[in-house]
Amino acid sequence: PAGPGGVAVPRAGLKKLVLPPDYSGITFPEKPKLKFMEKVPAVPKVRREPRRLRDIRGPSREATDFIQGQYGILALGGGYLHWGHFEMIRLTIGRHIDPKSMFAVWRVPAPYKPVTRKSLGHRMGGGKGPIDHYVTAVRSGRLVVEVGGRCEFGQVRPFLAQVAQKLPFPAMPVSRQSLQEMRREEEEKRLNNQNPWTFERIVTSNMLGMRKYLSPYDLRFHGRYWGKFFLKHRI
Amino acid sequence: APLPTAWLPALQLARRGSKAVTRHWKAMHFQRQKLLAVTEYLPPRPAVPPRCLPAQREHPQEEDGYARLLRRQVEQVFRSSRMVAVCQYNSMPDEDVVTMRYYLRKHNIEVKFVLNEIVRPVLAQSKYRNLLPLFVCRNILLVSPETRAREMLRVLKGIPQVNLLGACIDNTILSRQGVENFSRLPPLEASQGQTVGALALLPSQTSSLLQHGPSLLTALLDEHIRRLRGTAAPGEPPQEQGKG
Repeated sequence: PAGPGGVAVPRAGLKKLVLPPDYSGITFPEKPKLKFMEKVPAVPKVRREPRRLRDIRGPSREATDFIQGQYGILALGGGYLHWGHFEMIRLTIGRHIDPKSMFAVWRVPAPYKPVTRKSLGHRMGGGKGPIDHYVTAVRSGRLVVEVGGRCEFGQVRPFLAQVAQKLPFPAMPVSRQSLQEMRREEEEKRLNNQNPWTFERIVTSNMLGMRKYLSPYDLRFHGRYWGKFFLKHRI
Repeated sequence: APLPTAWLPALQLARRGSKAVTRHWKAMHFQRQKLLAVTEYLPPRPAVPPRCLPAQREHPQEEDGYARLLRRQVEQVFRSSRMVAVCQYNSMPDEDVVTMRYYLRKHNIEVKFVLNEIVRPVLAQSKYRNLLPLFVCRNILLVSPETRAREMLRVLKGIPQVNLLGACIDNTILSRQGVENFSRLPPLEASQGQTVGALALLPSQTSSLLQHGPSLLTALLDEHIRRLRGTAAPGEPPQEQGKG
């Protein structure tokens, strides 16, 4: 609205009354704060295990959807979480949530996989080193923690982003809606892709003998995963 | 049709370089890089780019229940009152507002604060379309079931911050001068009595009008009889005249 001299005269209209958010269907767990995770499992492993890095490779099959909370941290790459990471997550989230109105839940188990290290400064050989510490394997697409309660995404996102930045793999805070949105967009992109040549098509029919240069895992991963990395921009 | 099953390659590049999963970004074979470059995502391109099409303005779909309630109230006010005066309202101290409301309430006039964005759609659809230009700046409505313009003007004369813009009295739209003229009119009962009197004037003369001829004749005959009796002369032929 223009006033005299062409200056805009601000005018207040009718106030749009917004209803407060409905938190009716939320069940709080017994303990709202994150459980303390042990460095070493209750029954420490005696036998040293091979490195088996395939537990990092590819998409995750477990803990991909929300269970109790509304917001969480989604892993966008594979990696190992050790006790230091667990403590960081537990303390940061514990510092920022209000236990009376919000709660947080772990979606990863305590460290179970033994990792061996040889003592520093020795030459190669002499057998496998002793167990140094334990880690948990996380694949891409898995939720690490879930936060819920009487809170909004904007409230929770800052400290979840802070935590996500400190994790050894790329991660991002998500809510139920934003995760659904992401999956829907991915599906849309897959459907309206104008490129007639897709990785999946070329690999499954082995066009141009491409499978000589690709791994049998690429049949499953369709070019979205490379080692422990997740290529978000692919299809 | 399902994709044709492929044959496993005879040669496989194994035991070359580092393992499959590494902490660093493992260098890809050039053929693989080429394959990834070929199979990239191509977004759909519509025939007409969206920036050449007319801009789609998102009209407000969610109707506020509160706005609906206010609109209903305004409609009810217009329906129930005989006099609706629109005044421009400048900021007044609160106690002055209360005093004004009190004095107007004494004459059974209610003061209503209305928002233009609610009143304008209501008026545009009703028969009061010509009142639309009045609802531009901050305004108030003075509504009353009776039409007491004189007292209203007297009250508003003492308040410089409220200026009368126009009024709709008995489904007649009046401007400021119109309201002043309206207030100077005699009260309804007096004017009604005047009209009745003016209308009843002619019928009241009907009886005298009808009796005018015979009464004239009677008067003439009386005069004649008097003259006959008075002069005691031989009766003259009565002068008959046409009825006047």
